[in-house]
Amino acid sequence: MFRLAVKSVRHNPKRLVLTAIAVALGVTLVAATLTLTNALSSGFSQLFEEIYAGTDVIVEQDPAAVADDEDPFAAGDDVFTAESLEAIRAIDGVERAEGGIQVMGSVLAADFEPTGDLMGAGGAPSQIFNWAGDPRIDQATLVEGVGPAADDEIVLDLDAAPRLGYEIGDTVMVATESGVSELTLVGLVRFGESNSLQGATLAYLTEDAAAELAGADGYQQISVIVAEGADAAAVADSIGEVLPDGTRAITGEDKAAEQTEALDEVFQYIDIFAIAFALIALFVGSYIIVNTFRIIVTQRTREFGLMRAIGVTGRQLRSMILLEAVVIAIVASTVGLVVGYLGALGLSALVERFTGDLFGTVTLPLDAVLASYVLGAIVTIASALLPAIHASTISPMEALREAATESKKPLARRNIVGAAMALLGVVAITVGLYMGLERPYIYVGVGAVLLVLGVTLLAAQVLVPLAYALKAALTRVFRVDGKLAANNIRREPRRSANTAAALMIGVMLLALVATFTESLKSVVSEQFAGSNADFFVVNPQGPIPPGALEAIEAEDGVAFVTSTGLGTVTVDGTAMSLAVIDPDTAEQAFDYNNEPDFDRLDGGVFIDPTVAETGVEVGDELTLEGSEGSATLTVTGEYLNAGDAQLWVDEETGAALLGEVEVFQSMVVLDDGVDATEMRETLLAALADDFPLVALQTPDAFQQLANQFIDLLLGVISALLGAALIVAILGVANTLLLSVTERTREIGLLRAVGVRRSSVWRMITIESMVMSVFGTILGMILGVGLGAALVLALEEFGFSTVTVPWGWLAFYTVAAAIAGVVAAIWPAWRASRMDILQAIATDG
Amino acid sequence: MTTVTLAASMRGGTKDYGSGDTAVRALDGVNVDIARHEFTAIMGPSGSGKSTLLHTLAGLDRLTAGESSIADIVITSLPEAKVTEVRREHIGFVFQSFNLIPSLTGRENITLPLDISGKPVDPAWFDEIIGILGLGDRLTHLPAELSGGQQQRVAVARALVARPEIIFADEPSGNLDSRSGAELLGFMRRAVKEFGQTIVMVTHDPTAASYADRILFLEDGQIVDEMREPTADRVLDRMKQMGH
Repeated sequence: MFRLAVKSVRHNPKRLVLTAIAVALGVTLVAATLTLTNALSSGFSQLFEEIYAGTDVIVEQDPAAVADDEDPFAAGDDVFTAESLEAIRAIDGVERAEGGIQVMGSVLAADFEPTGDLMGAGGAPSQIFNWAGDPRIDQATLVEGVGPAADDEIVLDLDAAPRLGYEIGDTVMVATESGVSELTLVGLVRFGESNSLQGATLAYLTEDAAAELAGADGYQQISVIVAEGADAAAVADSIGEVLPDGTRAITGEDKAAEQTEALDEVFQYIDIFAIAFALIALFVGSYIIVNTFRIIVTQRTREFGLMRAIGVTGRQLRSMILLEAVVIAIVASTVGLVVGYLGALGLSALVERFTGDLFGTVTLPLDAVLASYVLGAIVTIASALLPAIHASTISPMEALREAATESKKPLARRNIVGAAMALLGVVAITVGLYMGLERPYIYVGVGAVLLVLGVTLLAAQVLVPLAYALKAALTRVFRVDGKLAANNIRREPRRSANTAAALMIGVMLLALVATFTESLKSVVSEQFAGSNADFFVVNPQGPIPPGALEAIEAEDGVAFVTSTGLGTVTVDGTAMSLAVIDPDTAEQAFDYNNEPDFDRLDGGVFIDPTVAETGVEVGDELTLEGSEGSATLTVTGEYLNAGDAQLWVDEETGAALLGEVEVFQSMVVLDDGVDATEMRETLLAALADDFPLVALQTPDAFQQLANQFIDLLLGVISALLGAALIVAILGVANTLLLSVTERTREIGLLRAVGVRRSSVWRMITIESMVMSVFGTILGMILGVGLGAALVLALEEFGFSTVTVPWGWLAFYTVAAAIAGVVAAIWPAWRASRMDILQAIATDG
Repeated sequence: MTTVTLAASMRGGTKDYGSGDTAVRALDGVNVDIARHEFTAIMGPSGSGKSTLLHTLAGLDRLTAGESSIADIVITSLPEAKVTEVRREHIGFVFQSFNLIPSLTGRENITLPLDISGKPVDPAWFDEIIGILGLGDRLTHLPAELSGGQQQRVAVARALVARPEIIFADEPSGNLDSRSGAELLGFMRRAVKEFGQTIVMVTHDPTAASYADRILFLEDGQIVDEMREPTADRVLDRMKQMGH
């Protein structure tokens, strides 16, 4: 039986080529993603191993004590005092212990010019530490010059120095919170074995200089080298006993493993995200497989009838077709795996040309191999199942029938099933979006799949009257070619509907994302429309230095600067994000979505919808616990957008809870009549010396930036959906190709009675365009509908109006028409080149 | 006979299939003249090249050597697109089976040649053909809903509707029972007698051939004989001489 299946595939490979490509494309995406993330993961795990290679024990803040939304890589200041360091040094088995200080700042390039723009300040971040002079602690080895000895000396890593334009003896500029410092470059170091820093700049200062620039009184971390023969884990345990609360001692090995694991978790999300798109492509591919097998079964009805007549059982027929599917799955998965691996190899090489060493060795991971074959096989075999069952029911009498056509079953059953599925899908989506259940995405996802399947089934019913309606128009414009094209679409409504629906899925997701992003843009522009601020102050390096704000405020013409600080407090044991604002000025600069305005804060607290959902109401009292103290506050109002910050208090309360709060966003309002453009120059000049990286963005520029980011999001998702769209276009070509084969005699007859080659080409092209545009329109209707539902469901995040992305919709329609023309090329070429005599003589 | 009265002709028509050892000569220097307003039948045993003769005369296939023309247009040297045009403007076809486009109704199938070339249908002529062929109540049906005889009559109507210079028929009654076949051939004969249509038909059936004005006998790619005013018996006798 297997030999028969292989022979059958080899006998007529052309009709399976596109099917195999469709499967291979999806598999390619899976294999490439898994290979790339695997290589990234091994690259980073190498990096972590190097970072912690020399250090036996690391003493640091306990990550469990830091709130989730804080950057896990940024350690808190002043965790350890000089006394803790002494206590650790006194422990048995400790050979050496050094405190570590990291400076938040940026090593500026020699030719740096402040632009005042966010984008101009880009580039890889700088990692600035204090120099211990011991490679086991610094993780870096001096390769040229000397280590920093005086407080105005600095060393850089050997790649950064030439990149930034410095040589030993040059003056290096370092921008930090407290301004720009000028230091002399005295040496170059190599990080680890090969200085693979993923493009970052590494710099070391003396401990005193680092402490001063970081504004730190203590250390963020302590690195420990154990004496020879001592057990690192045992030493870590003894250190743990003398440590203050909220800190821990961990061996370097464990730390590296922990970091790798944490990052692997991130990669897992990337995998899931990319594989979701691969699954969409495979789902679309399954439509093609179903169609192909259905058509093949129909075309081979007489052959199967004959086989049944000579004694082949229905079950044997079924296994034969499923075996064909297995053959395709194996071939397509292998091709996809190889192409995916090569693609990952090429992509990583390309990326590394720009970023430097980022990936470890690119190897083909086992899970990529497994996932490729399993997914390829499941999709192919599951899709072939229904046609195979259909084939097994073919009666031996079919062999004797004159012509093979798909049985003209009425569409009633298909319609009922389709309507039921679509309805169920809509219900599931509604429940998921609006009922506030846990894991709503499961409902939405299942609902969307049901809706798509339901609409696919219903589309056949829509196509029949549509083809009738189009027939008149197409006949008028294209005469006979148009008429025949319209007829062909109507002839096999199931086939045409399935083909169009494959495209529908991809377009639906495109339209959904476009609706979402366009609506997001209008949210952004609405927010900026409510802004009185002339500039937003932003620091790409992190929090905005208070000195910069003071410098701005000191200029004539500035009415006031109002800032939003962010921190974390605990309420009843739950960590919550806290925003600190100046209630008198905040509302003058920005029209916040709150009830009432912030000037009614009255020393109380505003809560956001996520807090309100837990049952807290205006008038209740909340006790907030911060690092510096606690406060019991009356809830005086609500902040109506979820996602910004959960609690809002004034500056006085913020200071009492957290001390000095880090500011990430400030707004500048100018005096009436001051020219903003001139004022920006003045302010930037005032900032240039000490805070050259601080940017002043006008609301327009900021909005543009936000829009650019949103467009980028749309672009990335569109690109990822590309695979699904290509598969769908392949599906259109595939269906047409098979139909052309089926209509060989008909096309031969048309040619015989004088239809030109170009007319045959046009006929196939019209058919292709109608199917493509139909699928696209269905997809756009569904996509905009789902997008609108999503936007309305996110009302609490500030979404107010659904913006229909008309521009994109027009673009998709035109693109679909063009895609239709492209998809028709191969089938139309075959149809128009068909030898007339052979076509007439063709059997069946 | 002057060339003006010829609907089609072939001079030195030679057709080879394949090459080298497997080469087969299907036509071997055939000279044929098809006079206007005549019903010509081409007969011969299978493999004699009669279908090849029809296909090359009709411009469906190309000669290896020699020259053939339709209505004084030499088609052997024309590019494919021009030949298609000649077929469209001057030729009608009736094949043995699968003559109709399944998705078009009877009427649409009949007017197909006119629709292709964008010419208007002459309603009087259309009605006359329909009347003679007795298709009046079958025009809205799809081919699948017609009997074999009805399908072939629709095919004849389609061949006639554009008043082509010449109609080529390849075993038109080959798939029909004898009564439907006789009816169909009767219609074709009437078309020649009453409307002056020119028809060339390939057949291996002596009875079918006896409807023609003139029979050309083909053997091994050459015309070996010609018979005028045939009867079924005379044709049968002649065929027997050819070893059948």
